[in-house]
Amino acid sequence: MNTTVCSLWSLGAGQRCRIESYDKALAENYRVRMMELGFHPGEVVTCLQAPALSAPKVYRVSNTMFSLDDEVASHIRVSLLGTDAT
Amino acid sequence: MSRIILVGSPNSGKSLLFNRLTGLSQKVANFPGITVDVGSGKLQEIPDTTLVDFPGTYSLQPISGEEEVAVEHFRRALDDADVTQVLCLIDATRMEKSLYFTLQVIRECERHGKQVVVLANMMDVLTRHKIEVDLAGLSHAIHAPIIPISARKGTGIDNLLKHLRHNIDNPKGGIDAGLAETPDELLRGNAHQLATRFGPRGDILIKSQARLDSFFLHSTLGGFAFFGIMYLLFQSIFTWSAPAMDAVETGLAALSDVIVPAISNQTASDFTADALFSGIGAFLVFVPQIFVLTFIIGLLEDSGYMARAALICHRPLKVFGLTGKSFIPMLSGVACAIPAIYAARSIDSPKKRLLTYMAIPLMPCSARLPVYTLLIAAFIPQTTALGGLVGLQGLAMFLIYFFGMACALLVTGLVSRNSPDQYNDLPFVLEMPPYRVPGLKPLLRNSWNRSKHFVTKAGKIIFAVTVVIWVLGYFPNHGADLSASWLGSIGHVVEPIFAPLGLDWRYGVAVLTSFLAREVFVGTLGTMFGIEGADENMVPLVEQIQASGLSVGSGLALLVFFAIALMCVSTMAILGKESRSNTLALKMFAAYGIAAYILAVGVYNLALLFGI
Ligand SMILES: Nc1nc2c(ncn2[C@@H]2O[C@H](COP(=O)(O)OP(=O)(O)O)[C@@H](O)[C@H]2O)c(=O)[nH]1
Repeated sequence: MNTTVCSLWSLGAGQRCRIESYDKALAENYRVRMMELGFHPGEVVTCLQAPALSAPKVYRVSNTMFSLDDEVASHIRVSLLGTDAT
Repeated sequence: MSRIILVGSPNSGKSLLFNRLTGLSQKVANFPGITVDVGSGKLQEIPDTTLVDFPGTYSLQPISGEEEVAVEHFRRALDDADVTQVLCLIDATRMEKSLYFTLQVIRECERHGKQVVVLANMMDVLTRHKIEVDLAGLSHAIHAPIIPISARKGTGIDNLLKHLRHNIDNPKGGIDAGLAETPDELLRGNAHQLATRFGPRGDILIKSQARLDSFFLHSTLGGFAFFGIMYLLFQSIFTWSAPAMDAVETGLAALSDVIVPAISNQTASDFTADALFSGIGAFLVFVPQIFVLTFIIGLLEDSGYMARAALICHRPLKVFGLTGKSFIPMLSGVACAIPAIYAARSIDSPKKRLLTYMAIPLMPCSARLPVYTLLIAAFIPQTTALGGLVGLQGLAMFLIYFFGMACALLVTGLVSRNSPDQYNDLPFVLEMPPYRVPGLKPLLRNSWNRSKHFVTKAGKIIFAVTVVIWVLGYFPNHGADLSASWLGSIGHVVEPIFAPLGLDWRYGVAVLTSFLAREVFVGTLGTMFGIEGADENMVPLVEQIQASGLSVGSGLALLVFFAIALMCVSTMAILGKESRSNTLALKMFAAYGIAAYILAVGVYNLALLFGI
């Protein structure tokens, strides 16, 4: 399988990915909070909405939806898994 | 009296459960802002037991100063001997976001020898979609009882009460040292595994949400929906609250007509008519607006749309140091600052909440409208430009509204750039709650509570200010002549302050009294010019002002002054209460007052320069 590593922020609507790691640039406490919310390395995340004008995107992790801004999402390294039918 | 603590992550149904168990009607806090009181209420079914509600949070590892305060509070409560048990509420449909917090709570309770009961809420949703979760297995794995409930339907509550009673009769035994010492790191891993193993399967719940989001967050359709909803919001504020505001006014006037003539003592009757009915009335008319606006904001919140609106507005507001969550509070500020300040509670980042507080009083609230209308009618000619397309007066009104909003964004932009306060800031991470049909009863009760809070909290201060202004304006000549009253004398004393704006002492007095509420400016000025009921019909007053030979520059200066100055004692009172800092309210009053004055002097001199 062809895996591309990119940032969570670069995902388009419908794209699925697996979290690889966190950037050092993201403050430690934010990183911890993201993991508390379910954004663990290894976890599968789907980008549900990527609205226009670089508004925050909506991501699904397990059964919860969070909206993240590039401030955080651009510091999460992910590998692309493919595109969801939905 | 024994106490039971209720904790849980945001949006898990804490308010609904709290109110069901206590019979109260509170909206519990969703973020551990220090602004937010810890609520408590007696349990209806268990005597001598109070339920204490703690702000919703995702974790016991604080990442902001406010979270630290909240967590500290929680730890201290656990040290309290009266606290016997802790209820930890989780949303069973989305377990993963609450499990880590739950494990932390279980560990803390173990350390402090308190009993813990985990409540799996929203079971009705799972039943409706025929989704099963293995709560028994999960309960075994986390070493704590789990009770399935539906706070909305009331199912499982009897079972919960039975459990609580049992726990009261059978206090906790020994402490499991292993459980008490588990480090956070391990808990996080455990939570993740548990959610994967025991959480609800399938994505039925997400799919319907995602479909709605595809519409509401769509680049064009979503934009239309957004403007449509905001338009409805505004329409309803005015169409729903205007009749109620009129009714309050008419009702008070009718009551005054009955009561005032019955008072034989002249001073007492003047006091009742002018200070009680007119003064307090000027503040009570805003209650319907606060009620309606709070109701609509609640509707947006509980339906799930609020989070979407925040997302849509985030990017543009970020430029000015704000967050998408500042949008609804600021928009509400265009109607009235009071519900706007309450609405800012939902902003989790303390820094951005503070910035939003700074922006709200600059939004062109409806109390400014009569002032603007009067000044524009008096100073801006009724001519049109561009072949009748643009009315000069309309344009002036638009510009002064726009000016207020622009100032608000300018202030937040400047302040945020000059205070790199990382610790009190939080990044934009927003849980998208599911779209739901809101329950009307809790919303109505919440609106009622907010209105009551406003009347009781701001009422005392407003009453005090009203009395002071009335006494100053009434004595020593018993209301015969305002210009010869103490207030008039003060007006003469402060005249030099207003002279650089080209204003005489009468305007000074009107500005001073407008501290009660901006629109009082119109009424006071009417009295100064000897016109009764100027707030009802402005035309005679407009003519008087024009005849008094005041320059256009002074009119513009006044417009600018009212756009910026924080002339509203109610706003200051509620700001002080909500931010828990009267200093903040006073500082803002001083800063906006000085800024307003300097700008007004500037505008006046500019006008002189151009010979207007
Ligand atoms: N279907 C369903 N909805 C619930 C239940 N409990 C709460 N809600 C809804 O979930 C939303 C959030 O509830 P609220 O009590 O405000 O949550 P809080 O943020 O934890 O205080 C509201 O729209 C509630 O009506 C439940 O048991 N079942």
